[in-house]
This record gives sequence, C-alpha cells and structure tokens, in this order.
Amino acid sequence: MLSTLTSIFIATASVQAAPPVVTPADFWLPIGASVQAHNVDLMFNIINYICYFFFVVVLAMMVWFVIKYRAKPGTRIRTDGMTHHTVLELSWSVIPLLICIAIFFFGFTGYVDLITPPKNSFDVNVTAFKWGWQFKYPNGAQSDNLVVPSNRPVRLVMRSNDVLHCCFIPAFRVKKDIVPGRYSTLWFQCDIPTGIEEKNGYHLFCTEYCGTGHSNMNRRVMVLPQAEFDEWLVKQAQWLDEIPDDELYFKAGPKIYARCQQCHSLDGTVGLGPSWQGVWTRLTSPGGARFSDGKSYADIIGPGKEYATPEDYIRDSIYNPGKHLVATYGNVMPTFKGQLTDRGVDSVIGMMKHLDEFDAKGAWTKTLPPAAAKTESKSEQK
Amino acid sequence: MTTIVTPRPELLDTSVRPDNYLTYTRGFLSWALTLDHKRIGVMYMSAVLASFFVGGVFALLLRTELLTPGRTIVSADTYNQFFTLHGAIMVFLVIIPSIPAALGNFILPIMLGAKDVAFPKLNLFSFYLWIGGALFTLYSLAAGGFDTGWTFYTPYSTTTTTGGVIPVLTGVFILGFSSIFTGLNFIVTVHKLRPPGMTWFRMPLFLWALYATAIIQVLATPVLAITVCLLIVERTMNIGIFNPSMGGDPVLYQHFFWFYSHPAVYIMIVPAMGIISEIISVHGHRQIFGYRFIAFSSIAIAMFSFIVWGHHMFVSGQSGLMNTIFSLISFSVAIPSAVKTFNWTMTLYKGTISLTAPMMYGLSFIFLFTIGGLTGIHLATLNTDVHLHDTYFVVAHFHYVMMGSALIGMIGGLHHWWPKMTGRMYNEKAAIAACIIIFIGFNVTFFTQFMLGSQGMPRRYYDYQPEFQIYHVISTIGAYIMACGFFLCAACFVQSLLGGKKAPANPWGGRSLEWQCTSPPPHDNFSSPPTVGNCYDFSMLRWDEKEQGYVVDKELEALAIAAEARGHS
Repeated sequence: MLSTLTSIFIATASVQAAPPVVTPADFWLPIGASVQAHNVDLMFNIINYICYFFFVVVLAMMVWFVIKYRAKPGTRIRTDGMTHHTVLELSWSVIPLLICIAIFFFGFTGYVDLITPPKNSFDVNVTAFKWGWQFKYPNGAQSDNLVVPSNRPVRLVMRSNDVLHCCFIPAFRVKKDIVPGRYSTLWFQCDIPTGIEEKNGYHLFCTEYCGTGHSNMNRRVMVLPQAEFDEWLVKQAQWLDEIPDDELYFKAGPKIYARCQQCHSLDGTVGLGPSWQGVWTRLTSPGGARFSDGKSYADIIGPGKEYATPEDYIRDSIYNPGKHLVATYGNVMPTFKGQLTDRGVDSVIGMMKHLDEFDAKGAWTKTLPPAAAKTESKSEQK
Repeated sequence: MTTIVTPRPELLDTSVRPDNYLTYTRGFLSWALTLDHKRIGVMYMSAVLASFFVGGVFALLLRTELLTPGRTIVSADTYNQFFTLHGAIMVFLVIIPSIPAALGNFILPIMLGAKDVAFPKLNLFSFYLWIGGALFTLYSLAAGGFDTGWTFYTPYSTTTTTGGVIPVLTGVFILGFSSIFTGLNFIVTVHKLRPPGMTWFRMPLFLWALYATAIIQVLATPVLAITVCLLIVERTMNIGIFNPSMGGDPVLYQHFFWFYSHPAVYIMIVPAMGIISEIISVHGHRQIFGYRFIAFSSIAIAMFSFIVWGHHMFVSGQSGLMNTIFSLISFSVAIPSAVKTFNWTMTLYKGTISLTAPMMYGLSFIFLFTIGGLTGIHLATLNTDVHLHDTYFVVAHFHYVMMGSALIGMIGGLHHWWPKMTGRMYNEKAAIAACIIIFIGFNVTFFTQFMLGSQGMPRRYYDYQPEFQIYHVISTIGAYIMACGFFLCAACFVQSLLGGKKAPANPWGGRSLEWQCTSPPPHDNFSSPPTVGNCYDFSMLRWDEKEQGYVVDKELEALAIAAEARGHS
C-alpha cells in the first residue's frame, strides 16, 4: 500500500515538471486542452483506480460469501462466525483514512494550481446574463463567443447582471460560479489553437441553473495564435464602425438579434418577451392600452411626451427594460447598457423597421447589389 | 437470555383470530384520530408511497423529454418545473419521511419493547403537519408552479415570476416541523421507554440509526425553517438578505441551505443503513459483525454531517481556505461509511444466507452504496470536483446514494417488515424479480449519467449537445425498466393484501422484539413486558414447517443459555 502511495507521489511530481500535453478524450473524460487539465485527469484516474479496487473487493467478497454460505434446505443455522474482530475493523478504518488523506492532499495542491492565475495573464471581462454571455476585451472589442490567445494564461473577470450563473469549460477542466454583486475570476491556458471556426471551438456552458434559457447559454471558446488573435481583436473592436450607416440594419442587426432571439421572436411566436413582429406599426399607430400600467403607446410616445420618437422609446427599452412593461409580460429582461453601443441600438432599430426583409430566424432575405456583396464578404465577422 | 416465540395455538386455528392493531377498532375516525404508532406508521407509508408515485411520474417525464436535444414533449419552462417538482417531492415528501416517519414509526416502539412512542399525540400531529405541507406543495402547482430547483437558490428564487414559490416554501417550512417532531419523539422514546434489559448496546442497529437520524432532524431542520422564512421575507417584503441588488449575499443563502440540506442527506441515508444492518443479519442468520463499530459509525456520521456542508460550494465563490477545510472534513465521512460497508460484507461470512426479497434489496444496497460512496471521493477532492460540480456526475452520485441506497433500503425494509405490518406474505419470486428489474434499470439509468457528467454535460439542462444524446437515450431506457420493476413490486404488494398467505410471527428468523409479537401485532404490541436478549443471536432458531416460520427450539435455546453461562464463568 505504502509503495503504491509512493509511486503515485512520484508520478504526480514528475508530471508537474513535464510540459503539458493534450489528453485525448477517453471513456470518462473529454479532451483535455488546457495546461491544468492533465493534473486534474491524473487525479481523476487515480481515484478511479482506487474506486475500482475497493468496489471489486467488496463485490467479490459479497458474491463469494453469498454463494458459499447460502442456506440449503434443512441446514442448521451456523453459529461459528465471529462477532467482531477489532484489528480487522481498525484496519479498514485506518487504511481508508490514510488513502483519503493522501487523496485530499493531492487534490488540494492541484486545486491551488487550478485557481491561482499567473501574474502575466491576459484579462477578459465577462458578463453573464439571462441568457447569454458578453465577452469584452481591453481594447473595447466585444464578442458573443470567447476568443482567446494560445500559449498565454487567460483570466476571466466575471460578473452577472441578474442571477447566479456559472462558467464551465469542460475541455479546460475549469468552472466558477458567477455571483451577482461580486466579481469572480477563473483562469486557464490553452496551447492548442482551434482557429476562428465556431464549430471547432471548445464548449463553454452555464452550469448554475438560471431559468428558461439556462441550457442555451452555451458558447464556444476559440483559441488563436497570438498574432492571429491580435489581428482579430483589432477587427472585432471596429466591426460596427466599418459598416456603412445604411447597411447597419442588415449587416449588424441579425448578429445583434442573435442575443435577443431567445425571448423575442420575429414571427409572432409568444416568448418571454413581446414578439418584434409588427413592432414598428404598433409604435407608430395609436392603439389601445398596451402597457401593464394601462397606458397605450400613444400616451408616452410623441412630441412633448415622455419619448419624442419611437426610436427614443426603443433605445430606452433596451437600456431600462423595466420602465414600461408591455401588458402581460414580466420584468425579466436584463439591461444592455454598456453592452450595446449607439450604433448597435441603431442596427436593432433599423432591423425593426425593415422586418419584412428578414425571415423568422433573423436572416436577411434580400440580396446585395454586386458591388455591395464584395464589401459584405470582406467585413464578414464573428 | 430467554425468549418468547412459541407457536400460539390460536394462530394455527383460523376460526379464532387474535386481536390485532388493524382490527382493534373500525371506521374512518378510528384511523384519522388514532394515537397508535402502528396506524400512524401505515398512514405515513401510504402517503409517502403516493408521493413516490407522483415524484416518479415526473422523473419519467423528465427522462422522456431528454430523449432528444431540444423539445421532445414539453417546453423549457415546463421541463424546469418538472425537475424542480421531481426533486422537491422526492426529497421533502418521500425520502426524508420515508424511513423515520413511516417505517420507523411502525417499528421503533415494537423493536424497543415499548407500547408506543413517548408522545403519541405529537406523533399524530406531525402526521397532519406532513399532510398540511403536502397540501401546500399541491396548492403551489395551482398557484402557477415553481421553477427554482429544489435548492431554491437566490436570487433566482426571489425573482422568478412563477407564482408557486411562496406556497411551496410554506409547505417545506411545515414539513420541517413534521420532521422535527418525529425526531423529538424518537429521541425521548429511545431514552425513556426502553424496557428493563434493553440496554443501549442491546438495541438493534436500526434503532441506533433512527436515534442518530433523530438527532440530525432535531438539530438541523430548524435552520431550514429559518432559511425558508428569510426567503419568504425577501420575496414578499423586498428586504435584502440574499439578493445583492438590495444589499444581500446569495452565497449566504447557500451556506444556510446546505447547513440543513447536507445533514438532510444523512437523515435519508443513515436510517437506510440501519435497515440494511437488520436485513443482512436477519436474512443471513448471522450475528452482525462488529456491532459497536456499526453503532458508533451511525453516531459519527450524524456528527460529521454538520461540518461538511461547504463541499457543495467549492466553486460558489467560497474562499480557497474554506474549500480546503471542507474538503478535508468531507473525507472523514468516508471512514464510517467504509466501516459499515465492510462490516456488512463480513456479516455474510459464515452466515446461513436466505436469498429472500429483503436480502436481495440488502445486497443491491451494498452494491449501489459502494458505487455511490466511492464516487463521493471524486467530488470531495478539490481539483476533480471543480470539473465535476453541477454536472450529471453529481446527479448520478446522489441518485446512487439517495435512491440506490436510501430508497432501495426503504423498499427493502418494507419487504422485510411487510408481513409484520399487514399479516400477509407476498409472492417471494415475483418480489425478487421486481428487485432484479429495479436493480438493472437503476444501473442502466444512472451509471450512464456518471459518463455524461465526466464528459461535461451540465445538470438541469433542457437542451444539450448532440454528442450527449446516446447517453441520454440509454439513461431513459433504464428509467423505463426501473418503472416496470416498481410496478411489479407494487403489484406484489397489492396481490399480498388481496390474497396473500397469512404471515407467521417470525417469517425470516429475526430475533429482535418485533418478531416476538404476532403478525400483525396486537394493539398494545406486547401483552406482557417482553424479555430482551441478544437480538443478533440466531443460534436457537429453527424453521418450523407447521408454523411456516422460524421458532425457538427449546434444546438449542438450552444449549445457548449453557454456552452463555460458560462464557460468563
């Protein structure tokens, strides 16, 4: 037993010194792509083998005894079994205790490595909300998927807009709750670039139950070599600015709408929020009572009223969603203040005005004139 | 060192039926206002089994929904309500009251040699509290349901728009008091109503387990009551306790919640362990191996249960130091659990093992509890828990412990004491078949979920990645198999009630006091104070064809007394 423990110790120590490698997916674990994954997997497998051992011992004893001492008709009840055996009982108290202490110790040291980010880490700001993620970079770039540089420690500084969320990247073996009212951090380093293709990225899940869209809060983590990442970062910061004003609604609109579609449909399907179908008609033609406080659109929109134009109303609904609730809907929408710039809001409003040009999924159904098509393919963004 | 079991002539004569607790009085009120612990136990059992059926239906609906990614039968919101209801019903209405309140109520006083529990009226009151709590839970469905998860984590639970949150919290509050009163009753009963000769170390291990459970119930449940009150206060009056937007702290809620709910895990499993100690030794006809180690391990688990709650919060934002301390202490629970498992296994050594239906459940328990317990190591270890937390690995782990162990223990106990409770035998072969089907279905359902979890599938997910589908399909098939097993098991019981063979006083060969009174027991349990002996000494029993049960053989008894005397001299 002691020699086993020693060999485990040596194995762990030598692994810590060795350069990190990718562990391929196996029966139990998915691909391990971060520098921390290898240690976690080693621990997992060591515990597994300990479990197999004890399970087989218990099962074998049980099956053997049941077969051997099974009552046969007419047999007397045996009375020669011992009632207790202190040495035996102490040994199966103390040996598991020692094993547990050893497991605790390696788990603890592994954990310290897992939660202590190196000093030179690259920080990404993460906002989790019902039900999506916003990743913000030091240069102001924003992204819906997490894009990080390879061969460099990355630290996520995370906050929540509403309820508890949890960031979990299985391939990196990292997880951390995101608690509203405080920052939580998580770090990893991945040395295997995936490219910018979304389908090649690693999964990022929300693992703290947060309501209707909980299981749709999954995104991808794309890992790029540093140079490629820098280039992406610059482009990402400017993507909204690069689109001409009159093309915003069909180029930027659908991309931003991807964040809205979980609650707001385009085809009238009832969701958690009002459908966008016919929204502009509703706003510009006087109707009956449409808000939960009994007011109609016409009561608050118009010259001299709370909102001078419908555009003002839409903008405020994105930044202060709880101010006026459309009748029958609850106050569940998070604010997008700080996440959606003025140009972003413009794109959304533009899209609302041209809904007839979009299909139910938010894809633009018209085609560009040949000249514009060229710019479209050039400015294709993630 | 003597005993009572002698075939009674009136038992053999079917024309003279001895008075028993079922026939003692008749009519609805004689049950509704009964102070008899046995009738209260039977009412609890019926109510718990009805709740189990409802919780089980939700489980099947969940598994059916998860057959395919995206929508299969219901919407995301409905799915969220389903898993919340499944969890809340199974935890608060089924597993927590199942063994202590249902089986414990029936068995504890008889096993102890008492006429009733210490406070019979309080006992009836706690049953009606349970009914009240269950009615509030039902009402919460009418009030719009609730989608918070059975854990009611804030701030989601204080901000969700579903209308049933406050009713169900009120229900949980009331159910908590039901649990506290039962615990209180049992503690006093065990301390004060032991007959002469029933010393602490002559108590059957099931009583030790119920006693340890009662301590946890009395000490931990008030914290749940406080937590639930604070939650209601925050939700109704907008007083910031847990919600950060009002100056509260959501992690505080998790501390409060797990301070109860971790010990609650032991409220569920410790009495089941007690049942297994009984089943393994009685059906193995073998003195329990290491009585004192098992008895003290129950108490040890009860004590440790209060200081390990933080292991539910390793990634919650709790400090690294706290995580380390909680991880270390959590491993301490492994030791008494290991002791019990090894002692049960050793009890089989040189036994005279009858593979009866209760014994099959007992063996299933050892198998499933070993897996459930060992996978706890992955979750107590800090760095592996970070990966596994809130995935299906955790779901599988606690189902192995809470269902595979606690509930299988309860069903095993029900088979064990069924002849005593109803006076009827059941079809043994069919019951064993049901047990095997449940066992297979269980492992197909939940072993798959270990793989799902370690591969990274988060829990409480309505929709999932296509690569996980194969595991979900297998798991769902397992759930249907399990359901078939439970229906067969229920059919056995119904058949037994309608036309089962009459049960002898001692069908399995037990030696604890409940096997000394008739089946079903008389209203007062014992006509004269019972004589207490070694409840695990099976040497004097022999099978009696005429009685169709075990009886004490006079010659063997004399031998045993002589051996005892030699031992003392």
